[in-house]
Amino acid sequence: MRSMRILSSWSRTRAVAVKEFWDLVRQPQLLLLLLLGPVLIMVAFALSFQTENILPRAVVVVEEGSEGEELFREYRDRFTVRTQFQGVLRSVEEADALLRRGETDAVIIIPPEPSETVLQGEQAVLRVHYATINPVFGTTVPNRANGLVLDLNQQIVRAGVTREIENLRQARRQFEEINEIAAQINAAAEALASEEAQGLTAELYTALTSLESTLIVLENEAEGPSEELGTAIDRTREARELVQEFREAQKEGAEEIKARTGALELERALSELGASIGEVPDVPPSVLVNPFRLELENLVAFEPEVVEFYVPGVLGILIQHIAISLASLAIVRERTSGAYEFFEVSPLGPGEILSGKFLTYAGMVLAVNLAVAAALIYSLNIPVQSSYLMVAAVMVLLTVASLGFGFLLSALARSQLQAIQLAMLHLIASGFFAGFLFPLEEMTQPAQGISHFLPATYGIRALQDTMLRGTAISPWDLGGFAAIALVSFALAWLLMRRRKI
Amino acid sequence: MPVIETKNLVRRFGGTTVLRGIDLRVEEGEIFGLIGPSGAGKSTLLRTLTGYLKPTEGEVRVFGRPPEKFGTEERRRLGVMPQKFVLYENLSVKQNLNFVARLYDLSFFERRRKVREALEFVELWEHRRKAAGNISGGMQRRLQLAAAIVHSPRLLFVDEPTASLDPILRRRFWDEFVQLREQGRTLFVTTQYVDEAARCDRVGFLANGTLAALGTPDELRRQAFGGEVLELTLGGEPGQVSWSLSFLKDIGHVVEVREDEEAAEGPVSHARLIVDDADVAMPQVFSALNGADVRSVDILKPSFDEVFFRLVRGNS
Repeated sequence: MRSMRILSSWSRTRAVAVKEFWDLVRQPQLLLLLLLGPVLIMVAFALSFQTENILPRAVVVVEEGSEGEELFREYRDRFTVRTQFQGVLRSVEEADALLRRGETDAVIIIPPEPSETVLQGEQAVLRVHYATINPVFGTTVPNRANGLVLDLNQQIVRAGVTREIENLRQARRQFEEINEIAAQINAAAEALASEEAQGLTAELYTALTSLESTLIVLENEAEGPSEELGTAIDRTREARELVQEFREAQKEGAEEIKARTGALELERALSELGASIGEVPDVPPSVLVNPFRLELENLVAFEPEVVEFYVPGVLGILIQHIAISLASLAIVRERTSGAYEFFEVSPLGPGEILSGKFLTYAGMVLAVNLAVAAALIYSLNIPVQSSYLMVAAVMVLLTVASLGFGFLLSALARSQLQAIQLAMLHLIASGFFAGFLFPLEEMTQPAQGISHFLPATYGIRALQDTMLRGTAISPWDLGGFAAIALVSFALAWLLMRRRKI
Repeated sequence: MPVIETKNLVRRFGGTTVLRGIDLRVEEGEIFGLIGPSGAGKSTLLRTLTGYLKPTEGEVRVFGRPPEKFGTEERRRLGVMPQKFVLYENLSVKQNLNFVARLYDLSFFERRRKVREALEFVELWEHRRKAAGNISGGMQRRLQLAAAIVHSPRLLFVDEPTASLDPILRRRFWDEFVQLREQGRTLFVTTQYVDEAARCDRVGFLANGTLAALGTPDELRRQAFGGEVLELTLGGEPGQVSWSLSFLKDIGHVVEVREDEEAAEGPVSHARLIVDDADVAMPQVFSALNGADVRSVDILKPSFDEVFFRLVRGNS
């Protein structure tokens, strides 16, 4: 009896599935739209998406004969690298008029006397005019302008550092020469403090002492005072005293000699000067100006191009949208046409209606999207990092969850128009909150919360995992698919049962 | 046991009462016609009887059970022909019918036979390969009827089957209903066309959610006019005719005598007599008019438009 009931139920489910199949197949335009529409969208997307950085068109405004013009001439290549350089104008008004007419994207105004401003302790301002209303993707000009200013600053600093290093090298050379002289002085002081020099000095002292005694005797023996002798005695004494002083210094050592002669002071001064001059760095100015260099290493196995990155997202959105579009009309169309009332009186139950429609729609959505995926993978050479089976499994899961969600919308809707609006709202929400246009991790609440209710959230992530990262479907995404499918089907079934009023 | 029975059936939508205390019995093998103006509550009553709507108050029993509690087996005994075409325009005539037959668990061979029988019954077999969207409105209605009978239901609910159809097609539909009744099926038919009441075995007049009248077509005529109607044609001057008619008022079986002055054609006058039993009253009328110039006395079957008008007016 029970098996008979199951067989009957399966027969009715199949009846609905067959009816839905023929109903779709007999609408070639709809099939064509379902099949060709997504493929055309994907191909158009792949062909027209710009992967290269777009350079903004720019004109430069600078005063003729000014320092600004000199600066521009010197660093002209910086301007042409960062922009599609269109030329130099003399009037800001003229340049702004070009901007307003859309004939240029940026007006770069170079200050006439930047050095003067800098010498006054202020930064020279490079003004850039642009006109955009797009706060997200309209940042090309500000970004390029920032890069240009950084580039200019870097170039100028690099030139200055190169010049300063050359000056430092020159100073260092002169300092080395002075140091050599000081070393000779040191060597002389060392020589003067030697025992041999002390002996010589002692001998000199003894000789001077004898000389002085001899001169004193002569003076005493002379008749009357002799000016010459007096002077000679004085000089000899002074010399002896000096020699005595020198002998004392000799006894103290070379340092005392240097101290008494001022050589020590010279040495100290040279040492201080050496410390203040420092070593001339033996590194290129470009390294001195930019001591750090960024080196990025992406640890993923495969780094996709822009189009390749967006393919899983577009595929996920397409699967979800086709499934929800079909399913969202499924119940409400039967209800508004009156067929549902006909079913209600027949042995056909809500579960059989849902199952029958599900079978056909799932088959149809999967067939269409497998064709789309195959077209993408083979014609656009989109790589698949994990297995094709895994990608197909994600597509099946996404289809099931999306159909469930679509049936729920259909059970809630009171009219076909309402169902279409709900499906469209869902599509828009998916564009914003499912990680298609903007990364989910960069969003806060309530966007993150909403994302949990969108099958595309799990679909896009799982397709990215399987197609690009080469990993399996995460348990979290599996859970998301399962939760959406189970809850949606259950609620749709309950709503269909409760519609008996 | 009646096939359909309602007791004090009330159905409200929010604060609006659409059905007010309907008491109804439909016996097996009869065509029951539910007649009423647009908005009278016919479709609501039909939907309540099929189990699509629950009664707010009162009791509904179809095959002895509340229809909203019907299981698969009971539903197999019901057939419904909705007011509008609810099948699938992209599917062929035969595919549509096959689909409905599958819903009723007909086996492959049974399905083949019954689909053909149903299509032949509604004369659509030759059009079976055409898309349902490409056949005429009348054919779509017949296809809908075929869908309602393909599983040979014992009880068939038909909601305004002849609305907007030409008289020839309407007649054809009613011929088919009579055939179905002859096959032993019970039909519950709603219609706005009052004259279709004559084709029913019993008729209920629904006005403003109330069953204004209920009975066979003849019973309803009696109910509307207070008895049977005799139409009398007399010759002579109007004064003389009035004098002759005055005798009729004293006959026991005559309920009402009304001279139709507007229908007078020169020396010929017309009058209507309401009698409780035409067969009994007729000889007495002739006797009372002895000597008068009686040209004819006919038992009149007033149109159901008139019957309906009188019943509704009387009810309001």
